[in-house]
Amino acid sequence: MGKRLLQALIASAALGVVMTHAEAKTVIQVMHQGDPGWVTTYGDVAKRFEAANPDVDVELIYAPHDAYNEKFSAAVMSKQLPDVMELDAPFLANYVWSGYLQPIKPLIDQDILEDMTESNVAQGTYPIDKELYAVGLTDSSVVLYGNRKYLEAVGARIPKGVDDAWTREEFEGYLEKLSKLEGVKWPIDTFRGYGIKTEWITYAYGPILQSAGCDLIDRKTWKSVGTLDSDPCVNALTMMQKWVKNGWVVPQSSGTNQFFAEGHPAALAFGGHWIYAEAAASMKDDIVVMPLPKFGPKGVSPNGTWIWGITTASEHPDIAGKFVSFMLKDKQYRDYAKEDSAYPGLKSFAADSPLYNVGGPMAVAFEQASKTAIARPPHPAYPAITSAFMGAVDEIFNDGDVKAALTAAAEKIDEDIEENDGYPPFDDQQ
Amino acid sequence: MSDLVLSATQMEVKRERSAIGSLRLVQTACILVIALVIVSPLFMLLVASLKDDRFQILADMGSFRAFWVSNPTLSNFAEVGNLSGELAYGRYLLNSLFILACTVGFGLIVNSMAGFVLAWGSLRGRALILSVVIALYVIPQESIIMPLVIMVSRAGMTDTFAVQIVPWVASPLYIFLFYQFFAQLPKELFEAAEMDGASVFRIYRSIFLPLSLPALATVSILMGIEAWNQYLWPILVTQTDYARPIAVAIATFFGQDSIYWDRAMAASVLMMIPILALYLAFQRWFVSSFVGSAVKG
Repeated sequence: MGKRLLQALIASAALGVVMTHAEAKTVIQVMHQGDPGWVTTYGDVAKRFEAANPDVDVELIYAPHDAYNEKFSAAVMSKQLPDVMELDAPFLANYVWSGYLQPIKPLIDQDILEDMTESNVAQGTYPIDKELYAVGLTDSSVVLYGNRKYLEAVGARIPKGVDDAWTREEFEGYLEKLSKLEGVKWPIDTFRGYGIKTEWITYAYGPILQSAGCDLIDRKTWKSVGTLDSDPCVNALTMMQKWVKNGWVVPQSSGTNQFFAEGHPAALAFGGHWIYAEAAASMKDDIVVMPLPKFGPKGVSPNGTWIWGITTASEHPDIAGKFVSFMLKDKQYRDYAKEDSAYPGLKSFAADSPLYNVGGPMAVAFEQASKTAIARPPHPAYPAITSAFMGAVDEIFNDGDVKAALTAAAEKIDEDIEENDGYPPFDDQQ
Repeated sequence: MSDLVLSATQMEVKRERSAIGSLRLVQTACILVIALVIVSPLFMLLVASLKDDRFQILADMGSFRAFWVSNPTLSNFAEVGNLSGELAYGRYLLNSLFILACTVGFGLIVNSMAGFVLAWGSLRGRALILSVVIALYVIPQESIIMPLVIMVSRAGMTDTFAVQIVPWVASPLYIFLFYQFFAQLPKELFEAAEMDGASVFRIYRSIFLPLSLPALATVSILMGIEAWNQYLWPILVTQTDYARPIAVAIATFFGQDSIYWDRAMAASVLMMIPILALYLAFQRWFVSSFVGSAVKG
C-alpha cells in the first residue's frame, strides 16, 4: 500500500514537472479556414515552427469557411480573439476600424515586406492611416477561360493580352454564336453555383460594374445611392440578366464544374485562378486563358484573398509576427500553394511560379494584377455592401426589376453607413 | 331464382374484392414511390461514398449514374477513418459519440425527473413553472446562442466536452413530453406507493420510470438527433480538435474554392450509422409513443 502511495506521489510530481514545463511555453493561437489540404499544411507548418522554437506552442483554431464570420463574432464577444487570424481582404477595413487588428509592419520580417506585390500591399492596407495590417503569400484574380475547340468553331478572336481583351459587343456576339453551336449546353459558366453565401458575387461581378463605368459605392463620398443604381450599373446588370434569361449561363443548381466536366458542356468560364489546375487537367490543350472583357471604357479585374493579420488581443505580437514570417517563407507551404495554382502575392513566389510567369499559361491573370485590378471598397461598411449587393444580384437573376433591386441595395448600404455615423473618420474623407 | 340471387351476390363480392385489390395496388404503388423518394438520396449518398473521383460524383449528380458505381472503393472511408493527425475524422466521430451518449444519458435523467415533479410533485406553483417551461420552448436556440457563448466563455468552459453537453441537457420540450406522459398514468399508482411509504424519488425510480419506456425512447431519439446534428454551437465554443464533433469536421471538405464530395460522402455515411442504430434500437417504443399520443389526444 505504502509502495503504491509512493508511486502515485512520484507520478504526480512528474506530471507536475511536465505541466509546469508546458505552462512555461508561450502559446499563440492561429485561427484559419481552408479545405483538408490547407488544414494539413497549416498543421505541418505549426509543427516545424514549434521545432524551430521549442519554447512556443502553436494552437490552430479551425473554422469552416461558411461559418468563419460567426466564429469570428463569437471570438470577439467572448474576448477570445486569437493572436493570428486569417481574414478575407475586403473585410480588413471593418476589422481595423473596429479595433481588432494591429499594424503588422513592425512584426514581420523586412524581406517579406519588401517582397510583397503592389496588389498584396493594397489588400492589406487600411486607407485611413495607410498602415499595413495584413500580409499574404497569395492574391487572386478572375479570368475568362475558353474551350479552344468551341472558340475556333465560332471563329472567335483569341486575345493576346490584357490590352487586347474582348469588347462587350464581341463577348455578347460570341455568347450568341456559342449558344447555337452543337455540343455547347451553356455558352458560359459564371459560377453561380458558388451561391450567395460566399463572396463570389461581389468579388467577380463587381468588376463588371466597374468596367461598365460605375461601382458598388462612390469611393469619395462613400454613398451608394446614385452610384450602384446609376444607369451604367443598371445597364450592366440588365445585360447579365439577359444572359440568364437567354439560358446562356450555367444555372446555380448545376454546380461549379460545367466548364471542365465530362463532355465540357460550358464553352466559356468567368472563373477564379484556382480552377485552372483542375480545368487544365481535364481539358489539356483545349483550355484558353483570356483577360476579362471590357464591358465599358476600361477592363477591370478583381483582387484580394485570405491574408494573415495579428489581432490587438495578442499578448505575444512579436512571436505571432515571427510565426507569420516563418509560414510565408516555409518551402512546403509554398509548394502546396503552387500545387493549388495559387496566385502570387510575393514577388519571390511569383518568380517561382512558372504558371504565372511571362509565357506561362496564366500569365494573363498576373498581367491583370498590375493593369486592371481594383480592390473591393476598403470601407468598414463592406460587410453591409457585399450583403446588399449579393441580395440584389440574386433578385435580378431571378427575374427581378434591375433598377428597383439596385436602388434597394444602395439604400440599405447608405442606411448602414448612416446608422454608424458615417464610420468616422471615413465620413471626413469626402 | 335463388341461383340468380346467389350469382348477383357473388358478382357483388367479386366486384368489391376487385375494388379492394385495385385500391391496395394503388396504395402499395404510392408507398413504394414514397419509400423510393426517401431511400434514394440515402442510396445515392452510399454509392457516391464508394467513388473516388470527386468531379465524377458531381458530374453524375444530375443523372441515373448517381445510383451506380462501376469501380467501388473504400479509399474514402480509409481516409476519413484517421484517429490522429490534423484531420482525425475517426477521433471526431468518437467525440460525437461521447457527446451524444452524455447528452442523452443526462438528458433522460434530468428531463424525466423534472417532468415527474411537475406531474406528481408537491411543489408549489407547479402550474406556473409548467407554463414557463412551455413558454421557453418557443424561444429559438439561435436567439440565445451569442449570450450563451459569452456565459460559457466566462465560466471557462470553452473547448471542452462539457460545453457541448451541459447547456442542452435540460430542454423544455422533453420536460413537457415527460410531464405529459407521467400525468396520464393512473393516480392510484402514485397513491398506493405513497401509502406503502415510498418516497417521491422511489416512486419515480421504481414505478413510473420503468413504465415510461415509450417516452424514454422518444426523447432518446429526438435528443440524440439534436445532439448529433449540432454544428454552429460546437464551432462557436470549441477551438481545437480535442472535443470537436464530426459535423464540424465534415465542413472541412467544403472549402472556399473546392468541395471534396468523395470524402464528404464517406464521412456522412459514417456519421449516419450511429443515429440510425439509435433509431432502430428504440424504434418499437418510439412508434408506440407516437401512436399512444395520437390515440390519447
